[in-house]
Amino acid sequence: MKAHFGPAQSGAYSLSRLTSKHKATSKRAEKVVLEMQDPATGVKLQPQRLVITTIPHAITGEDIVQICLFYSEARSFGSMLVALGYIYPIQDHKRLVVKPDASLYRFQTPYFWPTQQWPVEDTDYAIYLAKRNIRKKGILELHEQEQYNRLHKWMNHKWDFIVMQAKEQYRAAKERKKPDRVVFDCQERAYWVVHRPPVRTHTGMFPSLQKTFMIFTQQSIMRPRVKSSVSIGALVKYCATYKGHDPFLSKCLPSNPWLTDDVTYWALNMPNVEIPTKMRVERWTFSFGELLSDPRGRDDFRLFLKKEFSGENLAFWEGCEDLKWGTAATMKEKAEQIYKTFLARGAPRWINIDGKTMEITVKGLKHPHRYVLDAAQTHIYMLMKKVSKHVSSDSQLEQNARNRRPSLSPIIIRQQEQEQKAKMAASAPVDITQLCRFTTPVPHLAVYSGITDPPSANASPSLPFLAHTPACPSPISVALDSTSASERRAEASEGESEGNPEARASAGGNVSKSRVALSLRRLLKRGCTPSSMFASLSPKCNSAAGTSSRIQPITPDEPSQAPPRRIGNFFQIKVDIPPECRIYPIESEDEDEENRAISRERLGTKEIICPWESLTPQNGTG
Amino acid sequence: MSRWRRSVDELAARRRQHECERAQDALSRVTSCFQQLVASLGSSADGSFLRDELDETRTVAHRICSGNAWLSCRLLRLLSDSDSAPSGVQDRQVLERLWVLFLSALEHFLYDLRKACDLIGQFPLAERSNRRLLVNTGCVDGVVGVAARVASVQLPWLTSEVEPSPDLTNHITGLETMMSEMQQRVPVAFWSVEATQPAWAEARGEPDDLVESLEDLMEVEIIAGSQKTACCGLGCIA
Repeated sequence: MKAHFGPAQSGAYSLSRLTSKHKATSKRAEKVVLEMQDPATGVKLQPQRLVITTIPHAITGEDIVQICLFYSEARSFGSMLVALGYIYPIQDHKRLVVKPDASLYRFQTPYFWPTQQWPVEDTDYAIYLAKRNIRKKGILELHEQEQYNRLHKWMNHKWDFIVMQAKEQYRAAKERKKPDRVVFDCQERAYWVVHRPPVRTHTGMFPSLQKTFMIFTQQSIMRPRVKSSVSIGALVKYCATYKGHDPFLSKCLPSNPWLTDDVTYWALNMPNVEIPTKMRVERWTFSFGELLSDPRGRDDFRLFLKKEFSGENLAFWEGCEDLKWGTAATMKEKAEQIYKTFLARGAPRWINIDGKTMEITVKGLKHPHRYVLDAAQTHIYMLMKKVSKHVSSDSQLEQNARNRRPSLSPIIIRQQEQEQKAKMAASAPVDITQLCRFTTPVPHLAVYSGITDPPSANASPSLPFLAHTPACPSPISVALDSTSASERRAEASEGESEGNPEARASAGGNVSKSRVALSLRRLLKRGCTPSSMFASLSPKCNSAAGTSSRIQPITPDEPSQAPPRRIGNFFQIKVDIPPECRIYPIESEDEDEENRAISRERLGTKEIICPWESLTPQNGTG
Repeated sequence: MSRWRRSVDELAARRRQHECERAQDALSRVTSCFQQLVASLGSSADGSFLRDELDETRTVAHRICSGNAWLSCRLLRLLSDSDSAPSGVQDRQVLERLWVLFLSALEHFLYDLRKACDLIGQFPLAERSNRRLLVNTGCVDGVVGVAARVASVQLPWLTSEVEPSPDLTNHITGLETMMSEMQQRVPVAFWSVEATQPAWAEARGEPDDLVESLEDLMEVEIIAGSQKTACCGLGCIA
């Protein structure tokens, strides 16, 4: 739940700054105006002679300028006073400037001062226009006519009141003596020239505060809105989903480090931990974003994608993230690198995005900036998201469809893993801590890093790996349908496995033909290079697999042959592999020989089952 | 209900409606006079006489607004109209219109009251020295005529209890409370009320009035050959 500061909010902020600036200016202006009234030191007053009468208290423009200088204000201060409305011109009443000559001005009465706490009301303006209408028998200026019509439309519900009030005000004004009446009329007229100027009124000073206010209100209207029931519903859903995962709200196992000072919880949830905890895995099911943002989940997903020959998508996505968050200095090269690797025609890891997005991206790359790849990244993100959904749903379908090869979603498999591990732990409390016992402290090897595809990475081939690894060849080599028989066979032939991290004993287990999930990464960590792995995938090798003699990883260090491990299906997907794929096709091997034969022949379209290394239970006893 | 009963009810309703309309007129008159008075606050025309008149006007307005008869009759009718149908849609529309007009008048009056409160605070006339700060606006007199106008306002009903009029601040708060109460208790859709007069209608009215435009009033003697340059003339359009 992000908070968005749209244009309206920032507009409000600037509006408040503007109003406070105006406030300060107004206060200063008022102070000076009051000081100008001093009969001794103030401005000189003179009468204005009209035909009908003489009205006192007029001031000339020259005097205004002089007195402003006297108060050591700038020359423009006088203009400001007029622009704000503290002084109004009597003669050229539409031009709010101070002419340094004998043109006459007058002070505005405090009732009409532009004070912030008295907002300028449209109702008053409507009444004023109606009054003018009465007086001038309908002959108003153009902008006044427009305003009149507009207000008549928007204030129609109180129009009767407006007209009534206008009439009454008109009659009340007539009760005053003529000179006062003239003065009041001039004052009122000046007030509305300041606050409802016709568009081309020359104020000579600041942009109108009202214009800013108008923009602000227009933006508020355009702001998108959500019903509170909808937004509250989303909030409730979020809380319900994440409640159990918050260590402050619910109990966390083994213990809350903030309370007991025992850091096991953190150790278990490290980004690069071997076995993710059950809660963590559950979290991945919440949304694709969760899976991707958890480095452990991302690793698994990466491996899965690799199986599907679409690892470049995740790599591209990571590259984009790198570009977004990286230093500005390296941005240009990174962008070029990404382009060369993923986007250019014939690129080694070309990603499949639609023509329009590609066009936009390539165009943007001419002047690369941090977010130039955003469109493509979003596209790929959505693609991966769809894939991840498809996977779990597809595995369910598979399960329904073919009982012989039930496949479980990786999440459930993991949960079962944990459960069974826990069960296996004899007299230990059912506790996630127990999982640690099954973990081999294998040094973490980052097999994949960013853009570069690293077969050479740190898969240190020299590993103790071999004895246990069932499969180097494994994941891609053979998917055994693990029946109990094969399991037992595998178990029996399992070599010494020092602490296979996989602990999984699916023997019997909950599901008769449960696959055991094992991270391919772990697998590869054991030093099986992809190339060797793939090499072992050739049909030639496969035949050997059937006979339980192992496909040998090519690494020199590999001494023994381990019998084919029980391999669990992590993902089960149907994918069409074009024959010219650079990577050897994955063959799915079934315990059923015929299937295997058939699949071997159909290199083009294969049902790809990503085999995972099976887990040996032998070291499971804790 | 018998026809006789119904006609009696109708007559009573109509009488009440007329009362409301007259009260509305009175309120408009009083508030417009009030505005003329407040416009002189802080100016050279300010003085104790003005302030007294201001209070008087306020009192009259208060009496009109809080006339129990008025409010209760309004509320009662609008609330009860939802139950009894026969008075018809038209009557209800009329009532809603009156309701909206009354609220608008209240709002407008409240605006002026607040201004008055601020101005009195800013220009206290307690001491003679304060007079020096009054703004020389050109107004020198007052408001006798206006005061007389206020006095001529007749209340549409006799108030049995003469409540003491509150001072300015309390008056403001009282009105605010009353307004919010009214808006909450009676659901009237403002937008459904329509004006009875078309636009520009007021321009055609009042033939008996001698209308003097501002230009006429501001006519300046042009003394031939004089150095005076100040000329308002008819060139500038008011």
